[in-house]
Amino acid sequence: MIFLRRQLPLLITMITGLLFAGQYYVPHPASEQLLTSATKWLQIVGGFALVLGVTSLFHQHAAKIRRKEEGWGYSLVLYAGMLGTIAVGLWANGKESVEGAATAFGWVYSYMLVPLQGTMFAILAFFIASAAYRSFRARSREAAVLLIAAVIVMMGRVPLGEYLIPLSGDVSQWILNVLNASVRRAILIGVSLGAVALSFKIIFGVERSYLGGGKE
Amino acid sequence: MLKIDRRIIFLVIGLCTLLPLLYPVGLPIKISSEVRGVYNHIESLPERSVFFMSFDFDPASKPELHPQAIALLRHAFRKNLRVVTMTLWVTGTGLADQIVTQVAKEMGKENGKDYVFLGWSPGNTAVIINLGQNLYNTFPSDYGGKPTKGLPVLDGVQSLKDVTYMVSLGAGNPGVEAWYVFGKDKYKFEMGGGCTGVMAPGLYPLLRSGQINGLIGGLRGAAEYESLIDQKGKAVAGMDAQSATHVAIIILVIICNLFYFSMRRAARQQSG
Repeated sequence: MIFLRRQLPLLITMITGLLFAGQYYVPHPASEQLLTSATKWLQIVGGFALVLGVTSLFHQHAAKIRRKEEGWGYSLVLYAGMLGTIAVGLWANGKESVEGAATAFGWVYSYMLVPLQGTMFAILAFFIASAAYRSFRARSREAAVLLIAAVIVMMGRVPLGEYLIPLSGDVSQWILNVLNASVRRAILIGVSLGAVALSFKIIFGVERSYLGGGKE
Repeated sequence: MLKIDRRIIFLVIGLCTLLPLLYPVGLPIKISSEVRGVYNHIESLPERSVFFMSFDFDPASKPELHPQAIALLRHAFRKNLRVVTMTLWVTGTGLADQIVTQVAKEMGKENGKDYVFLGWSPGNTAVIINLGQNLYNTFPSDYGGKPTKGLPVLDGVQSLKDVTYMVSLGAGNPGVEAWYVFGKDKYKFEMGGGCTGVMAPGLYPLLRSGQINGLIGGLRGAAEYESLIDQKGKAVAGMDAQSATHVAIIILVIICNLFYFSMRRAARQQSG
């Protein structure tokens, strides 16, 4: 059993990891066909993962409702929303519109999901303004630099700011193009090197946490 | 004053958003080189070139990316390009369908001949790789259920390698970066990007290294594009509101710091 739980997954990971790392550099039709098949399988697995995710969510909230845990009413709303959407989605064959006419699923999308998500993000503007007033203070030299840069970029990104301080547009572009881009690039290189190192650790079985910590 | 009731701040921001929308000022919008990069490239494409667009966003980012999508599609249709669209975000499918249908109708374009909306397919970045290998295997039918093989709009298109220009309008992952890493880098097509304002600084390294040839950032980018194609819409209208809220937040931050420093000085004098 240990072979099935430990050695076999490690072996599969190592073989596929090395195979597809090498595949990138081999433009032979057989190599390309291998990639096509693998990614097609990835798409199929992705579809099943979606079903698995929804099932797990249902399970978790069903337990919450059964035990009448704190906030179980929200779980009930989630159940009603999900079952309702799945029902109209199946009825409409997953289409929001058919030849330009909105289906029931399209109605749920346009008049429930769109306004709800829009509202969620619209209120961010109010909270950001309130948070900026409370916490954006020049407590140290570093905070002062951040504050000045933020004010310049905020001014330079809107027509009124450029109208009031004509130089703010160019200075803001310089901050984004030079300071921001170089720092971001440094972070990207660091993260990428970390990802390469982690990939090697996974391929060669040094990092095994993805196998889970169940009983052997 | 440092502990001002936050409802007053909410009211200020609400008024700064509402009043400019009701009474627009229409301040001139300066065009940035990033947005011009996308515009110039589309402008340089010959008629019937294949323009691929991925709507990688959901309704949460609609205010910023919807005007970008509308402006880009208007430009592409005006240039008589063949427009192939899709989404990597399942919650963006309905929105993408609405945008494509609306603009195509407005510009008198025919589904299947001048444009196609492929819809969504599971697999995130695997979809990009699959498209690079074979478009018809990835999307055997379009969003309306028509088989993609044989559509005049896809004539001569086998995979991403046959795409002339691609733009991803992304609000997160998968988005612009994923299209570069899994698409452009391997299948060698020219690419531009569009994103929310908050994401734009993160994509500057791709822009500066030429990995993408242009970037439309947030509502400002959309407003610039609307100005470039001379069809002012929601983004230009929203710029006055954004101007007012930015200035209001800056004034609030300055006031807060003035009070903070005066209190700190008073505390020092007391202790000294």
